[in-house]
This record gives sequence, C-alpha cells and structure tokens, in this order.
Amino acid sequence: MTRKRREALAAYAFLAPDTIGLLLFVAIPMVLAFGVAFFKVDGFGNYQYVGLANYKLMAGDDQLWASLKVTATYVVAFVPIAFVVSFALAMLVRNHFKGIGWVRSAFFLPNVVSLVVVGLIWQFLLVDKQGALSKLLAPLGLGDVSFLGTPSLALGTYVVISVWFLMGYQMLVFLAGLKDVPKELEDAAEIDGAGPWQRFRYVIWPLLRPTSFFVVVNSTIGAVTGLQAFDLVFVLTKGGPARATSTVVLYIYEQAFTFNNMGYAAALTTVVVAILVVCTGLMFGFTRGGRFDED
Amino acid sequence: MAATPTPASQSGLARQFSRRSVLRGGLGALAASAVGVPLLSACGGSSSSGNAKELSFWNFYGPSDDQGPQSKWFVDTVAEWNKNNDVKVKLRYIPGKDYLNGTTLQTAFQSGQGPDIFLISPGDFLRYYNGGVLQDLGSALSDEAKKDYLPGLLEARSVDGKVYGLPMEIEPLAMYYSEAAFESAGLSEGDLPKTWDQTLAIAQKLTNSKRYGVMFETAPGYYQNFTWYPFMWQGNGNAIKDGKSAFDSPAAVQALKFWGDTIKTKVAPRKALGDGGGDVVSNLGSGAAAMQQSGIWAVSDLRTKAKNFKYGIIPLPTPDGGQAATDLGGWAFVANSKGANPEAAAKFIAWALGSTDAAGVERQRQWNTVVKTNLPPRKSVQEAADAKGAFADGALKKYVTEIAPTGKPEPRFPPEVYQPIADAIQACQLNGSDPAKAAADAAQKIDTFLKTYQGAPIS
Repeated sequence: MTRKRREALAAYAFLAPDTIGLLLFVAIPMVLAFGVAFFKVDGFGNYQYVGLANYKLMAGDDQLWASLKVTATYVVAFVPIAFVVSFALAMLVRNHFKGIGWVRSAFFLPNVVSLVVVGLIWQFLLVDKQGALSKLLAPLGLGDVSFLGTPSLALGTYVVISVWFLMGYQMLVFLAGLKDVPKELEDAAEIDGAGPWQRFRYVIWPLLRPTSFFVVVNSTIGAVTGLQAFDLVFVLTKGGPARATSTVVLYIYEQAFTFNNMGYAAALTTVVVAILVVCTGLMFGFTRGGRFDED
Repeated sequence: MAATPTPASQSGLARQFSRRSVLRGGLGALAASAVGVPLLSACGGSSSSGNAKELSFWNFYGPSDDQGPQSKWFVDTVAEWNKNNDVKVKLRYIPGKDYLNGTTLQTAFQSGQGPDIFLISPGDFLRYYNGGVLQDLGSALSDEAKKDYLPGLLEARSVDGKVYGLPMEIEPLAMYYSEAAFESAGLSEGDLPKTWDQTLAIAQKLTNSKRYGVMFETAPGYYQNFTWYPFMWQGNGNAIKDGKSAFDSPAAVQALKFWGDTIKTKVAPRKALGDGGGDVVSNLGSGAAAMQQSGIWAVSDLRTKAKNFKYGIIPLPTPDGGQAATDLGGWAFVANSKGANPEAAAKFIAWALGSTDAAGVERQRQWNTVVKTNLPPRKSVQEAADAKGAFADGALKKYVTEIAPTGKPEPRFPPEVYQPIADAIQACQLNGSDPAKAAADAAQKIDTFLKTYQGAPIS
C-alpha cells in the first residue's frame, strides 16, 4: 500500500464515527421529518395525512413568529460579539509567553463543561439579590437587578453566557487559522515598513478569510439550533420570563412534547432547516465561501 | 402538574443534558418522532409488543439510586403483588426531571412502546385520555373502594362515569413563613396576612437587601399554573365554564394583577432559587424569602433537609371579600389501554391503591403519611392516619382542618388551554402587562380552541 493510500484510509477511519453518527442521528431523521411534516401526528402513534396543512398553520401562529424573532435577535447579537471576542483572544494568546498553556486552557475550559453545570454556575452567579453579581453591583444601586427574571435583560444575559461558553472553542479555531499565516509574509511586510496594524490589516486578516467564514457560519447555525439555543434556555428559564427567551428550537420542542403536535413540529423543523440553508447560501454568495480571490 | 416527590426530582432544570439530548430535544426530537413511523408499521398499529405476563410500570420513585423510603414503598408494593400473582409487574425508574419535563414517555407512546402502568398528573390527563391510551379501571374497582375516595377526586379522573386513574395522594397548597424572618423584622404572628393587601404590606416590611418578603413560582410551566389557580378561584373565577372560556373575568384579572404587584413593588423575586416554587428548602429555608407559597410535600422536605428551621403555615391570603381556596394536586396510577394486558394492569392499580382490607389501608397510610407528607385521598386511610396521630399537630393539622377543606382538585386542562393561561400569568407577573388585556387575549385563544375541541369534558 502506498503511503498516500494509507493516509487516505486513516483519514476515512477517523471520519467514520462522525459520519455514521451524522447519518444515523441527523441526516436520516431529517429526511424522515420532511415526510412527517405532511401528517397530523397525535403522539400516540396515529398518523393522518394532511398535506400542506401544517405549513398553512404557520402564517397565523404568533408564537412561532415571536420565537423566530427571539432567535434572530439572539443570532444578530451573539455571532458578531462571539466573533470579535474569540478573535481578540486568539490574537492575545497567539504568541508564546510564559504560562500561555494556562491562559489558553482557562479560556477553553467553559467549553468542556456540561451545559447543566454551565446553567448551575450562572444560576448561582445571577441569583436575585443573593448572587455574586448582585452583590458586586449592589454598591452601584443595582443589587435588585434580576438578569434572568427581567424580559428585557434575559436574552442579553444568554448572549453573554453563550459567548463565555463558546469563545474558547472559537479561539482555538482562530489560532489554527493564524498558524497557517506564513511567518515569512509577515516578516516581509515588516521589512517593507508595515506597522502592526498594517500587518494585521493587509496580511493576517485577508489570509484568515476561510477561518472567519467557518466561524461565522458555524456560530450562526449553533446559535439557531445549538446547545445554548435549547439546553441552556431549558435549564435556566424554560423560555421565560414571559417568553423572552423562547427560541424557535424550544418552541418546536414544546409543540412536539407539550402539545403533542409532532407533525407540526416536524414541519417547523423543515422551515428552520430551510432558513439555515438560505442563510448559509447567502453567506457563501457574499464571501465566495471565504475562498481567496485568486482561487 | 402537582407536586413531585423530592426536591431533587422537582427540578426540571437539573434535567441531564448531553449532546444526545439535544438531538432528542431539538431538531432531532422531531426526527425521533419520525422514526416512529417504521417502528409503528412494524408492530402493526396499536397492538403492543409487550409481554402479557410481565407489565412495565414507569415511575419517578423507585427503584431509585438513593433507595429512600419512597423508592422502597414502590419496590415493596410491587414485590408484594408479584408474590401472589402470575402476571408480574416490573418497575422502571425514570428520574423525575426526565419524567416531568423530558421526552421519555412521549416518544415511547408515539412509537407504540408505552408502559403498561404509569403515573400521571391532572395536567396530563386529557392529553392521554384523548389520545385513547387510558384504560377504564372500573371493572377492577369494587364499589366499596370507589365510595372510600373523597368526593371529587375520582370525578377529576373520570369520563362519562368511568374511572381512568386512581389518585395516590392529595397535595394542597399553603403559604409558608419563616419565624426567624418575622422576628428579625419585628413582626409577630398577629401580623400574618389574611388578605392580598396585607400580604403586600407585610412583605414590604420583610423585604431587605438580602431577602424578599414573599415568593411565588416564577418559571413558566404546568406547576406555575397549578399554583396560580387558587387566586383566581378566590374571586369565584374559572378558566372555563359551561364549555366556554370564562377567563375574561374580574376574578382572573385581579389574580393576575396581584402576582404582578408583588414584582412591581419589588417584594417578590423575579426568579426563584434552587428548583423553584416547590423547593422550600432552597428559598424559605435559605433565608432568601420570608414567605413562600408551596405544597404539603414541603413539610417532609423541611423535616429531612432543614431540621432546625422554624416555620409556620397559613392559608393562602384572599382578596377583600374573597373566599378561601387552594389547589389539590396529586398524581394518579393509570393503565395503558394499548398495553400488553390492560385488564391485569387495572387489577394491579386497584389492588395497590384501592384495596380496602387492612393491608391495603396500611399500604396507603404508609405512602400518604409515613414515607411522604400528603393528605390521604381515601376516608379509611384518613381514619387510620388519624388514629396514629399523623395530623395531630403542627402544619399537617392545619392542612387537614383549615386548608384542604377549601380546596378544589387541580384542573385537567389540555395544553391548548394551559398555554394561554401560562402566557397571561407570565406576562402580568414578569412583563408588566395589563391584566385585563392579558385575560381577554387568553380567553379568546381558549375560545378558539374550544370551538373545535372534541375530546372529553374539560374541568
């Protein structure tokens, strides 16, 4: 066996577990969901073909539009903030200095903690009146602020928690991207008299395009369907207060498991998937998939 | 949903989360329902794949890891049955957080793999009944057993005079207060509130930089609705009357306003500690709240987890000119009509909870007053418990003599009725919405639903 062949086989072997998992638990169910969307499913095993009725229901479903708005607001706030913060972190820990391992680990740590624990930690920090944050803010006269109990603050609080949770992971992705920026190019630019800002603006930033693209697409999808859009909300506020954090995925969950409208929930899922496909397509269009101009 | 067995399982928020549960919970959840298609056709519609000689009993008590007294009651009860019967019962423990807020039961029923026997709260009754999976327990129940139940309890689990669930307990709600908080605020028992206005005034005095004066459930869900209904009933209101929405009433509006006022005047928290309104140990016991609305289960919780905490209970305060009211929660055993052997499952339930012989009464007494604190749903069990002095003093005495007599069984509203009410409560309590408008909006949604509703009567 040639070396190339061996490497290819190894690559397939490493990819196999994820591929099988994706097929079995994501791709196939997703296709099935498209089918179920044409049925009224009562949650007790009865299926009744209803054609496009589930889709027609959506127009008059205020709750759906409200939850889409919550999700959109969250995405629009979360994606850029997470991008900037994790990129800044990556630049910060890019160069070697003493204790860098510790610093990188500290930023990455939230990402390895289970969402339940994340929820519990933040619940502890944000408890009304007695939480650590309330105590910190008390001298400013803000000891009474309830971050998760006030509709106008709850979603913003989720943005902060999510950024904290995911910044380490995105930082690593950026670090990997930065590693691919050839040192010679930077050095050459420096010799040509480029300052730090110019080196960043004209060398590093353009070469990071594929990485940036990946981060934006990945965090957008994550913000719509990911752990923080469901688990965290479920753990901390169950969509409250007053539906302020009722994301679309949480709404789908409610439709399926509280209302037993599994067909409708399936239809909603297909719409969310379609929205994501369109968004990703648009991003591809605008950035040519993050490819370099000369490709 | 009424109370849950232990604070730990009351959580709902401690639901185990994993990447897999996201698949289940999020997009994948629907997919899971989709997977039900092939499963279903494989086992031929409603016929179960179960074993007629072995009945599965899904519950959130035992055999649990902690092997506590409640778990032991379930294990012993089933062992006793299995000793004397050919058709065996097999317990499957599902942690409370998964049972209450999870997807375990729903996905099982959707794929035709539901348990033969399971536990159900009033809030879920119609969903399962209308789904056609609840077995009539009538033939297994003796007339003597039926007569032994307190009025209203079986009716709440019946349709057209047929009984579909046997309640295992009665769980009324009351207001708990911390003696230490009252003392430190210079208040005495004479200051305990009887009306809503007094509640707000006293709560103001009890509130300081570390403590809230009063606390109601803040998290949305069946439990919050359950705890709010008494305040609506106090003004003689109801969500549904004579098959139509009655939610747009002064009684509902003033109850919505009262909860909102506790937040507006900053005497109540916007978010509860620990597992929420049902968790007295984390809120009242920790000193975060001076008064807290909760249920009778809190007596045993405080007894085991906050031994030295001094507290008292009072009936829920009423509006001026209102009548006392409380909500009577409580779970019931039900049988799956599409299970492997529904008749045997019904027999087991009637035996476990409804036996009127000495052993049966003792078994119920153990559950209601020894391993857990509730009120017994049966007269004979009440008498047996009284004979042992179970309600002779303290909070439990007050529950029996003053509070429970003002109670109504928890309403069995389907999700389509529960949701508009939940939204109205949340909006008025936490978002400063106008109670009159919120009540009108909810009433309209309920009416729209009722126009096309075809299931069993809603009560």
